[in-house]
Amino acid sequence: MDLALTDEQKVRKQEFYDTCKELDKKKPASLVGAETIYEDDESWKYNLYCAREFAKHGWLALGWPAQYGGKGDMMDRVLFSEARGYYGIPGVDIFGVQMLAPTLLQAANEEVKKEFLPGIAKGETMWCELWSEPNAGSDLATLTATAVKKGDEYVINGQKTWNTGAHKADWGFGVFKTDPAGKKHHNITFLLLKMKTPGITVRPIAYLDGHAPYCEVYFDDVHVPAKNIVGQENEGWAVVNLLAGFERSGISEIMSMVRGLEDLVNFCNKTTRHGRPLAKDPLIRNRLAQLASELEAARALAYRVADLQNRNEMSLMDASAGKIFFSELGERFAFLATDILGPYGQVKTSRWAPLDGIWEKMFHEHFITTVSMGTNEIQRNIIAWYGLGLPRIR
Amino acid sequence: MDLRFTETQEILKKMARDFLTTECPKTLVRKLEESKEGYSPEVWKKMAELGWMGLIMPEEYGGMGYTFQDLIVLLEEIGRNILPGPLIATITSAFPILEAGSEQQKKELLPRIARGEAILTTALLEAEGVFDASGVAVKATPKGNDFVINGTKLFVEMAHVANYILCVARTKGGASPEKGITLLIVDSNAPGISCEVMPTTAADKLCEVRFGNVVVPGKNVLGKVDEGWPLVEMVLRKGAIAKCAESVGAIETCVEMTVAYSKERVQYDRPIGAFQALQHKMADMWTAMETSRYLLYEAAWMESEGLPCAKETSMAKAYVNEVYKDLSKWAVRLHGAIGTSADHDIPLYYRRSLAADIAFGNTDFHREIVAQKIGLV
Repeated sequence: MDLALTDEQKVRKQEFYDTCKELDKKKPASLVGAETIYEDDESWKYNLYCAREFAKHGWLALGWPAQYGGKGDMMDRVLFSEARGYYGIPGVDIFGVQMLAPTLLQAANEEVKKEFLPGIAKGETMWCELWSEPNAGSDLATLTATAVKKGDEYVINGQKTWNTGAHKADWGFGVFKTDPAGKKHHNITFLLLKMKTPGITVRPIAYLDGHAPYCEVYFDDVHVPAKNIVGQENEGWAVVNLLAGFERSGISEIMSMVRGLEDLVNFCNKTTRHGRPLAKDPLIRNRLAQLASELEAARALAYRVADLQNRNEMSLMDASAGKIFFSELGERFAFLATDILGPYGQVKTSRWAPLDGIWEKMFHEHFITTVSMGTNEIQRNIIAWYGLGLPRIR
Repeated sequence: MDLRFTETQEILKKMARDFLTTECPKTLVRKLEESKEGYSPEVWKKMAELGWMGLIMPEEYGGMGYTFQDLIVLLEEIGRNILPGPLIATITSAFPILEAGSEQQKKELLPRIARGEAILTTALLEAEGVFDASGVAVKATPKGNDFVINGTKLFVEMAHVANYILCVARTKGGASPEKGITLLIVDSNAPGISCEVMPTTAADKLCEVRFGNVVVPGKNVLGKVDEGWPLVEMVLRKGAIAKCAESVGAIETCVEMTVAYSKERVQYDRPIGAFQALQHKMADMWTAMETSRYLLYEAAWMESEGLPCAKETSMAKAYVNEVYKDLSKWAVRLHGAIGTSADHDIPLYYRRSLAADIAFGNTDFHREIVAQKIGLV
């Protein structure tokens, strides 16, 4: 067991932290929480600015093979996520950089890689994911939107939903049924398409706080070049399952909570209630200490996942466990923090809101980690079925 | 970064698992719970031959020269299997001797500990039942070159079979409770000592030790007079990590036994492990096990490297304490009625979870340390 970083990693980590600290100084006041970039124009502009700054360092291509402009390895990606999480800096497109690029590197043909990887590495192309449908959520393979091959094109019809940032994205990657009569899991194709293609209608959906980070997307005879395929026709399900390249430690979310805890401790030290600092309240001390301990446990497990992934020994069980744990810790943290803030816990970002209103935001933003990327209930199934070998009733 | 065990650790782990499976079956565990001694001298002797008591002592004192991390690997196996006896009490009592003992004390005690000839335990708690220095009222009064101890210690693990008791005594009233504390190595055969085993959940032989005018020679002071508290903190810190390791091993057994049982037990024409109500609970148990394990390894690694780790240690102890109790509770519940039977192995673990919580500082004690270390004023 050795948790130490190499000297080289320490230097790189410092660079990541220094750069994020500088970017933090230019952050717009309206950017509070991770999803705000999709809701607020100034935050989106800042997101693009950060992306291009990171691209200058080559940090959007960490862990890629050198021939595609990559540098560093998976552990560098983890350390970079750590720094961004701590300072709350956007600029790494979760869909393009985190999900699609590793998928393309593994499953796409050379032509597709050459066409799409440079835009991602330069921070110029922003992506969205077109997977879920109104009747295909956790059971994604039952999707019904179709892509019919006609000559050198696919013609897409149907509807997608819960597409985060689809109204901002330049491109989308989606899964469509290409063989409606075919066998489940062998009738889906993974396609890349330009969001400005005629026939696409994007409608933002109001999230429970009234903002609109995600959308529903309608396809009405949308023509997509057939060459924009990843993997084989009808074998898109295998591409969907290629999550091995996705950095799954959750360290970014965890570090954002580490920062949140530091700020909350500071708030408790400075805020007086009943004639003494909140920090002197034994109940608050005990609850914050419990939260801090759980947070350290989350961080320790995140490094376990990172260590495994860095050695290409990724354990689905550990990644699922980590996701369950840090996302539900996020829920507990939001409840605890709003509780400590008292009546101020409910105030949105404004002059009345302590800590920029981050905890009011977190009170509803936490669903994004528990529900998306495979609900926590699906993660529990993964641990039970694939990890513990418990019987699965079909 | 590489979180895998070293080759040495893998060998140690396998050796310990094989040894315990053969030498310490659950029939023996139950027998020892009911016995007066609470440990098996024959097994103890064999453990000494394997070098367990001296595992992390330097070779010059008859030890094996392993690292603190290696000890954690061993203790995890011990927790998996359950091994009643004075191993953790002895090993943790040797820490302050290694750290602050005089050369004479080291030469006299450490080789005997390593050979399995001396059992040690540390006497900290008293009537108030708190882990901080304010609870220490037992007095050691200087008399010539000696000290005279008076008072009663409680919850002293395996004191009834110990050859030496490290007594945490008050030698001076000071500006703060931490000042004026002295550690004394007391021969348990000294006149004036009496010992009684307390009935506890885990039947783990916690004792009341009464000191009535017990004379201890001045050369038996461990470290400096009046300045013993940092040594106690060190015992609590290393002991907390050691106990966490034992708990993580026990947690692992609880998960394995529950998963295995749920695949065998058939109700409604299917193994109960096919029901999602149970599957999700077991997935949560597994998640709690993994978070506990890697938090433990983080603290153990830091301790092993000599890095300051009071915060991480207390985080680990506070966290693992609660996981062990809750998870072993669920292990009993998912087993159903059979899990509540004294003949079943699962309750052996559940009963130990409370003892593990309390040993070397309970959850609230460690949370207060965490509260200070995260910067709350």
